[in-house]
Amino acid sequence: MAHPSQLGFQDAASPVMEELLHFHDHALMIVLLISTLVLYIIVAMVSTKLTNKYILDSQEIEIVWTILPAVILILIALPSLRILYLMDEVNDPHLTIKAVGHQWYWSYEYTDYEELAFDSYMVPTQDLLPGQFRLLETDHRMVVPVESPTRILVSAEDVLHSWAVPSLGIKMDAVPGRLNQTAFITSRPGLFYGQCSEICGANHSFMPIVVEAVPLKHFEEWSTLLLQDA
Amino acid sequence: MMERAYIASNKPLDNVNRYSKMSLAKPVMRGLLGKRLRFHLPIAFALSLMAAAAFKFGVTEPRKRAYADFYKNYDATKEFNNMREAGIFESVRPTGK
Repeated sequence: MAHPSQLGFQDAASPVMEELLHFHDHALMIVLLISTLVLYIIVAMVSTKLTNKYILDSQEIEIVWTILPAVILILIALPSLRILYLMDEVNDPHLTIKAVGHQWYWSYEYTDYEELAFDSYMVPTQDLLPGQFRLLETDHRMVVPVESPTRILVSAEDVLHSWAVPSLGIKMDAVPGRLNQTAFITSRPGLFYGQCSEICGANHSFMPIVVEAVPLKHFEEWSTLLLQDA
Repeated sequence: MMERAYIASNKPLDNVNRYSKMSLAKPVMRGLLGKRLRFHLPIAFALSLMAAAAFKFGVTEPRKRAYADFYKNYDATKEFNNMREAGIFESVRPTGK
């Protein structure tokens, strides 16, 4: 989850998010390069009384300031396309989960083998246990096996929502009547928090997402227990 | 009639100053902006490349190294057990509970 006064991304918990982090650093480096150049030129031009009223055109400078931005754009586009195709690779998921947005909670359906489904409501602030996070905890978490490719099918029952978990590099709109697919692999066990990312009414800020990544053995025990309780 | 007095002089009668050696150089009056640009643009490019290099080696590379070092000796089972004993998971309780 995010910590106070954080400026950058959350620590990556999936390989795709790591790649996104490195790409963002690359793009930011290019932005810094251009900004420094432009700022220096602005200061140099503003701090002089010299003018030349008779410059009309210059083929040389036109060529430079066409070719150079084109080269910069290619330097940004190539890693960007690489990540885009990386995210779309056929990944043969071990598990498929449906995440359905409602006003104002998420419901999760694990229907690969049995019909396992539950709702996930935010824990109200007054009911939080010590150490839990305000507006981020849910009563039932989406449990997944760690280091297993998992497919998420995102949809909605009423209005637009968006299922987002920043540390996994996921954000997928939940559209009524539509199934949007995304996939992820968690690199390590733990809890990964997210929040609804499409305005959906009064409690849009109060329908968080918690992904709990545990070893496969414990995931199976958990799902068996839940099916028995159902 | 009074005779006019003539003062003999060896000075030539034109006004050309042939005897003074000190004079100001003609000031540069053209190409001043171009000269300023030729001075500042290479500095601008150099500074921006240095800023990019500083970001790359100060932020980008350390971040990549940090992730590589974190996962190099990462023991997922040990970390999971630590988290489990801390009681943070919903799907698995601490051992003994």
